[in-house]
Formats: sequence, structure tokens, C-alpha cells
Amino acid sequence: MSGSANIDDLALRLGSGPSWAMVRTHFGIRSFGVNAYLAEEPGIQLIEAHDELGERAGGHEELYFVSKGRARFTVDGDEIDAPAGTFVFVRDLAAKRTAVAEEAGTTIVIVGGKPGEAFSPSPWERNAEGLVHFASGDYERAAETYERFLTEEPGDAGFLYNLACAESRLGRKEDALAHLRQSAEAEERYRQSAVGDPDFDAIRDDPEFSAITGQADAAGPSS
Amino acid sequence: MSEKSYEVAHLDELDRFPVDDEGLLWRPVRRKLGITAFGTNAYTAEKGTERVVEEHSEEGGHEELYFVASGRATFVLGDEEVDAPAGTFIYAAPGTKRGAVATEPGTTVLAIGAKPGVPHEISKWEEIFVAFGLYRNGDEASAREHLTAFVAENDDQWQGHYNLACLEALTGHRESAIAHLKRAVELEPAAKGYAAKDEDFDSLRDDPEYPA
Repeated sequence: MSGSANIDDLALRLGSGPSWAMVRTHFGIRSFGVNAYLAEEPGIQLIEAHDELGERAGGHEELYFVSKGRARFTVDGDEIDAPAGTFVFVRDLAAKRTAVAEEAGTTIVIVGGKPGEAFSPSPWERNAEGLVHFASGDYERAAETYERFLTEEPGDAGFLYNLACAESRLGRKEDALAHLRQSAEAEERYRQSAVGDPDFDAIRDDPEFSAITGQADAAGPSS
Repeated sequence: MSEKSYEVAHLDELDRFPVDDEGLLWRPVRRKLGITAFGTNAYTAEKGTERVVEEHSEEGGHEELYFVASGRATFVLGDEEVDAPAGTFIYAAPGTKRGAVATEPGTTVLAIGAKPGVPHEISKWEEIFVAFGLYRNGDEASAREHLTAFVAENDDQWQGHYNLACLEALTGHRESAIAHLKRAVELEPAAKGYAAKDEDFDSLRDDPEYPA
């Protein structure tokens, strides 16, 4: 369905990171990927360090457009100063890319697609469906969404992590710790992610949480 | 030679090709950066009163997303009128009428488009737009060179011959204009009808060789 929307109205605040405007899913676009990220403050990482290889990536060539503010990109080890109006196009799927906001309000619109193939959404974009419920505070529906994803893709570390977040918010302590542990065992990086994630405030003081995040030694008495 | 892994360009560095006589500027993004998976261009209206998106419907099945990068525009989307300040996305499904007129100076709209379910195919019209942009910018020689090279590579495409015929007619190269128009009609008989309504050919209509 044709329609219009302002980028600020689409943006959902996700924890301490940037706000995310899920443009493609909002409009139901089927022939290319498009999202936008907004940083309220300088220093916020707008584009997570990633490449477009691997199972969860889309294998997309990506166009980044800085529509507002100023960002500092790093692509393939090169630093790029990108004031509003800059396009950064990364064709090499293996090139590592990341971007950090230099000014408050910095906004980046990202468009992606796979050369020579009909578009299909990146697997990570499925997370969007659950994150919408986090943004609206409906943790019950967020948990249901990730449980459903996990029946389709058992053991997926990202889905397990987000399920643990929802369960922690809902006060389901045991489930949250169990799923967070499974997530961290599947992908090491989730141990670190959990440390500063406010979704886990309800279970942060549990020794099991400290054990999962590797903070047990620091928190406990010295032997 | 290996291709660079990334490209960087600022809006201000993009070419500025006039699309019409009213001031709409086409700023090729896809072409500049070498994007192949989707189409993307920017359009700029400097005065702020002129058209910034031509009115059309994409009957060929492309869906399009517009993003107002700066300034402000009034979009037509189907039967609706949408006030679109900077930061607005406008999505037009295939077949929906869309167009926009700038309402602030320095309005730039980014357009992204592709056809669902099929690999993206780069539009041949881009090179024709470049040639006419060069011509409108007063560089007739580069325009002819560009279009002649395009036609040489795409001899079986009626659009190239038709547009080269337009350029030749506009610049007084009668014989070449008629030869290319004949070839265009041979490849696509409907081109005869398009030519009948095209004022670019007004200077040729009384020529006995004109394919009317």
C-alpha cells in the first residue's frame, strides 16, 4: 500500500543505542531493504561493525546516506568523515563497516540488495518483529514472537538473547537465565552485550547472571 | 585491476542534468557509485517552486520509495496530496500515480526503486537522460558523442535510435535524424505514433523521407 511517514515518527528507541526506523517493514517494500538509524547524542554507534558475509547477513551491497548531522565511518580499515549529504556505498560483501555519530541527531538511511538476484530480506531483519513489541513495552508478545522464531530456528543465539530479555522484563527469572546462558554459549559476544543491557536489571544481582557474563570473579570474594 | 571495496560521494559532487526546461535537475546516484542491486537517483529543485518528481505511475511494476533529503515538497500519491518536509518517506506501490513539486528552495528528493521478485536491471534510460542533460547544459558535442556510443552498443534498442533522432532533429542534422527515426520505427512501430506527437521532430515533418 502506498503511503507516507516521517522518519522521526518511525524511529523506535532501542535501549542505549540508536533509534531504528524500520522503513522496509513499515511500507511492506519487497524489492530492496531500507532502514534508518538515528542517534540522539554524539558517540552513539549507528552502524554496528559487520560485513555482509555469513549466515545472518543478507549478502547485500549497501548504500548509506547521511541525511542529518555527521558520522564517522570506518570501511575496510579506512576512516571516512561523512557530513549530511554523504553517500557511502559498500559493494564488497567482505568489507567490515561501522559508523559512529559525531553530532546529536545524526541520521543514516541504509538501502541494500543482492546484485543479480531478486531481493529477500536479511535474516537479522526478522528481529524487527519482536523489537517492535519491546519498544511498545509489550514483553509478553515479544517473548511469544521469539519463542515462535525459535521453533523455526532452534538454537539461534540472537533469538535466545531477545527471549531472555523479554523474560527478564516479565519477571521470569529462571527462564531468562536459562535462555541467556544458551545464547552466550552459542555466541560469545552476548556475554558482553548482557552486561550493560537494562533489560536484565531484574536478574543482574543473581550470581548465575554474573557467572554467564564472566563477572563472577570480580564480584565475588578473592580466594 | 581490482574494484574498490567502497565508494564515497557527497550530494554536492553529483552531476546536475536538467530533465526539463523548468529546472528539475537529475542527480545520478546509482550511476556515480556503481550500484547494481537497485535503482537510486536524487532530484533537486533549486528555486523551490518547480517540479522535483515527474508525475508518473511505474506501470512496469517498479515500486519506489522517495526520501525528502532537504527542503520541502508537495507530493501527489494516488488521489492524495502529501506535504513532505525533509525527513519524509513516500512509498509508491507499482501503478500508483506519484509526482512532487518543491515548496522550498534547495529541495532534494532521493528516489529508490526496483521490481519485486526479479533481479534488478539497470535502466537503459539513464544514458539517454545523461545525453539530454549534457545537451540542455549546452554541451551538444558531448551529448551527441554519448548518445552515438550508446546506440552503437544497443543497436537493437529503439529508444536509443529514437532519442538520437530527437537530438539530431533539434540540432539541424536532418539526414541523420531521419535515418535514426526510421530505424526506431523499424524496431518499434509504436515509435511512429510517439514521433507524431513529439515537437522535437517539427522541423522534419515536411521532409518526404519523414516516416509518417
